[in-house]
Amino acid sequence: MRDQELQRILRHMPAGIATLLGPELRYGFVNEAMQALLGGNTPEGQPLTDVSLPADLREVMQKVYDSGSPFVAKAYGLPLLGSNGEEPTPRYFDIALEPLQDDEDQVHGLLLFAVDVTGQEEARQRAHELALETRRLDARLRVLTETAPQITFTVDAAGNYEYVSPQWYYFTGQPPTADLDAIWPLLVHPEDRLRVLYQMEAARKAGIGWSHEYRLRRHDGQYRWLLSRAVPELHAPDQAAYWHGAVTEVHDQRELADALRRGEAELRFLADSIPQLIWTATAEGFIDYYNQHTAEYTGSSADELGPTGWVSLIHPSEQSSAARRWVQCVASGESFDGLFQMRRHDGQYRWHIIRARQLTDARGLRWFGACTDVDDQHRLREVLQHQYDELARTNRDLDTFVYTASHDLKQPLFNLRGLFDELRRTATFDDEEHEVLLRMVDGALGQLDVTLHDLAATVQEQRQLTAPTEAIDLRSVAEEVLLGLRVLVEDAEATVNLDFKAAPTLIYGRANLRSVLHNLLSNALKYACPERPPCITIASGMTEAGKPWLKVQDNGLGMEVNKDANPIFQLFDRQHPHIGGTGVGLYLIQRIVTSRGGHLEVASTVGEGTTFTVYWFG
Amino acid sequence: MFSPMNHIAYMSRAVRPLSDQELQELLAQCRRDNARNNVTGILFYSHGNIAQLIEGDPAVTRPLFEKIAQDGRHSNVVKLADKPIEARSFPDWSMAFHPIDPEGFSALTDFFLPHQMPATPDTLSIADALLVDLVRQAVFGANTTAAESASVGN
Ligand SMILES: Cc1cc2nc3c(=O)[nH]c(=O)nc-3n(C[C@H](O)[C@H](O)[C@H](O)COP(=O)(O)O)c2cc1C
Repeated sequence: MRDQELQRILRHMPAGIATLLGPELRYGFVNEAMQALLGGNTPEGQPLTDVSLPADLREVMQKVYDSGSPFVAKAYGLPLLGSNGEEPTPRYFDIALEPLQDDEDQVHGLLLFAVDVTGQEEARQRAHELALETRRLDARLRVLTETAPQITFTVDAAGNYEYVSPQWYYFTGQPPTADLDAIWPLLVHPEDRLRVLYQMEAARKAGIGWSHEYRLRRHDGQYRWLLSRAVPELHAPDQAAYWHGAVTEVHDQRELADALRRGEAELRFLADSIPQLIWTATAEGFIDYYNQHTAEYTGSSADELGPTGWVSLIHPSEQSSAARRWVQCVASGESFDGLFQMRRHDGQYRWHIIRARQLTDARGLRWFGACTDVDDQHRLREVLQHQYDELARTNRDLDTFVYTASHDLKQPLFNLRGLFDELRRTATFDDEEHEVLLRMVDGALGQLDVTLHDLAATVQEQRQLTAPTEAIDLRSVAEEVLLGLRVLVEDAEATVNLDFKAAPTLIYGRANLRSVLHNLLSNALKYACPERPPCITIASGMTEAGKPWLKVQDNGLGMEVNKDANPIFQLFDRQHPHIGGTGVGLYLIQRIVTSRGGHLEVASTVGEGTTFTVYWFG
Repeated sequence: MFSPMNHIAYMSRAVRPLSDQELQELLAQCRRDNARNNVTGILFYSHGNIAQLIEGDPAVTRPLFEKIAQDGRHSNVVKLADKPIEARSFPDWSMAFHPIDPEGFSALTDFFLPHQMPATPDTLSIADALLVDLVRQAVFGANTTAAESASVGN
């Protein structure tokens, strides 16, 4: 009964148990667990087959059988077929092989004992993989901490250095044997030392991290700015055990920032010293700086004005258009430019030119603006404009007056002439000088007529100055003018040469050109030398700068040229009082030529002749 | 009784783009809390750009601004204005933004698509209107600032 009991227990044991008998290792007792392990088919008395166990295990079994010494295979992997033909999954067994001996100590079989250790084995393998991974991460961390351009460190709660990366030694030039806790504080710049030690201690006491900058002495003796940051490693809430941190060199950034700050401060100083309203604005168009003068001028502080308050300083009638324009400029990047009335602290609105331009550089986009008080200039300009208008009107009135007067005097003169002729025809004179007197009166009447005519012509010419220009053939105009002067030319037996080859056409006002030619030619004929017949040359050409000129040269009386007085031709300034004429002619030429942007030059030798040169433009 | 009023305006950047869902939640929460606190104003949002103007009793708006400024959903909060005002210019709380999916928002009230935004109210001084216009331009870009754009309620 007890045997049966034992058999039942063995059969249902979770570990596999089997006996294999004889050198052929035939199946003896095989419990359920072992049966599953061997593939289910284990008829008693049948030898172990190739399929049921791997060859290496069978070989070992054979050896144990032959040698009679037991063997245990730990965590031996057996691919077990899944229950319903699934993929075999490896399972692991501790397999004990025990020789079975008969009474004479002869081996006649093997006891096979298999315990499933798959769970343990998998756990062990996972642990192994984890260990590998940890080692890999550890190596990576070390490479990182030791190659990053930073010093990394660990400090304990007492403030002693647990670890510092090799970069610290490269940086400071200290030997690897250096006592960190003692030396590190000594390498900190004396001005920063107390502050750094205090800050670190305060952070450690409070259990928080730190971030501060200080100067540390480099191996070459130079102090460099560093940024030290550390975070606490908490072992329990509120209980930090270690601080891990990194020290980064920020020397160059700091120098740059200092330089920028200095530059900025200098610019501010400059802007604050200028007696103008200067301001800057962000890319979005919000004013972020007004110079000091703005507050003095407007009576409003930068805070009171705020980012858009400038617009309230502008005259109410112009505020919304200025605001709209500014929004557009900010959107498009166009410069802001305008003339606005802005309120001064005393409430007076004064004209300002407001100008703003965008600057883009490495630090982004900003606006720079200035408001310049141009009120005085503006007022002055208004006064000048007013006076100019006044003068222009007076001038027009004068012209009209001269024209009307000369016109109105024509009739009485005409009457006078008629009466005088009548008088000469009918009256008799006792005085023997009467012939001379009559001739003088006649001459004076003639001169008065010419003067009136010339005055009217001047006014008319004045009006012609605004006439449109056209391309004119010089020769045809010159011939036209000569035709008008034909009687004078013939009387004087004058020779006139025309030479327009170099510049045959001129773009000018036709009436003006005719007037200039007429006056120059009649002058040349009028002031001829009585000893020789006049010889006149009219020529045109171009200056080196490509500007046209016209020359009228005579061999007449010549005159004194006053080099200092310029303009040399004053109205009615006459050099040869014995010769009839009004003197209006040269004045007229001068007026025409200068008003179209040119000038007149004269070269003359008394007794030899005169050359007038008209430079039409410039 | 005289009750003082002020308005506060700021601009900021969302720490990461806000989803339509998050915007809806923000809208709902603001509408509820602001109605309770008698706070009005307008919020602009587009592609991470945020700007807001709130108006009300300074005893409410000042602490509210402090709270909003601390909100982790945005950073780089720059205050542009904080000054007394005579009257409210945004009597109904509203919000304007570019939703990612405008379809889903058509049912909501109290918000505008940027191109539907009403003109800047003329109860604002010209300086304050200029501020709102610049803010709007900074959030939505240049071509949505046109004050002539169609107006929806207010
Ligand atoms: C861009 C932005 C705008 C906000 N505007 C408001 C607002 O107008 N009113 C408000 O009550 N909360 C606003 N909040 C939410 C607040 O920051 C805060 O989350 C909310 O008031 C809830 O705070 P509580 O939990 O302390 O009550 C805003 C948040 C963000 C990010």
